[in-house]
Amino acid sequence: MSRRGLFGRSAGEPAAEADVRPTLLGVVTLMFLLLFFLLTTSSGQRLGVLDLRLGSPSDLAPLPHAGLVKDVAVTLSGSTLTVVYTLQSTDISAASTTVEQRQKDLPGVAGRPDLAGLLAALEELHAIDPSQERASLAPDDAVTPETIIAVMDVLHGPEAAPLFSKIALTGSAG
Amino acid sequence: MFRGDAGGITPGLDVGALAPLVDMMTLMLVFLLRSYSTESAPMPPEGRFELAGTTSEAARSTGSVVVLVSKDAVYIDGRRVIAVNYLPEELLVREIYDPLLLMRGKKRIEVHADRAIPWGVLKRVLHTARTAGFEDLSLVAASTSSL
Repeated sequence: MSRRGLFGRSAGEPAAEADVRPTLLGVVTLMFLLLFFLLTTSSGQRLGVLDLRLGSPSDLAPLPHAGLVKDVAVTLSGSTLTVVYTLQSTDISAASTTVEQRQKDLPGVAGRPDLAGLLAALEELHAIDPSQERASLAPDDAVTPETIIAVMDVLHGPEAAPLFSKIALTGSAG
Repeated sequence: MFRGDAGGITPGLDVGALAPLVDMMTLMLVFLLRSYSTESAPMPPEGRFELAGTTSEAARSTGSVVVLVSKDAVYIDGRRVIAVNYLPEELLVREIYDPLLLMRGKKRIEVHADRAIPWGVLKRVLHTARTAGFEDLSLVAASTSSL
């Protein structure tokens, strides 16, 4: 009586090529069924969620940010973007509470907001003060969600290196 | 791909042809799992509704109140509450506020807004939701992130 190995081959027999076709066919069939199941139960549209913070007049003013960039506000009127930010003065003769407000206007390009220009401006601010996470966005009444979300995406930055993760939507008073 | 029995070879599929087939199936499965979604977005009865695109990949949470703002009307959990043309000038919309007040146990609101409605409409809905006690608001959009 010969002793059989794990795969049914006798210990003394020469190694014969194993037939893996039945196994592979089983895998292919399973894959095909999974594909069919996925295609029938899912849709091509994935949804993404943007958390909102709504500014309100009754909100308490937040504590002043300790970094160099005190606040960042983006207004969107038609296709024109305006970035208003407050910087702590780094002049050696200035007091620690001295701040200066600056504004950068970004006119629309071909009737659409200049998102590339906005990204460059925000990256510049983020480089000055990476600890500043808050920014506010005030859209005009006629602006559509498509444009608002596109601007919010730029404000947020890529997932790997976010710019401003806490975005407040303001301009709700009118 | 198929091997005949000429020359004493056993007929059937060639192993060399099956291996790339398995690879292709695996790639297609990964692509589908990555780019398709099993969650269905709500649609208004009128059918004309298109979400804006976003690069965000944050997933939806379950158990939220779904507020849908189409070009025609505002829906709360699938029930039409007011036509967009009849929204008042005030920020607080009573027709949205009252049903939301009854749903405060849910805590969270997801707003599905048509990509073309003006912010002037959407801000009324958001302000009303916040006034009704919902602090946790999120805007849902179609994810445009690629593989």
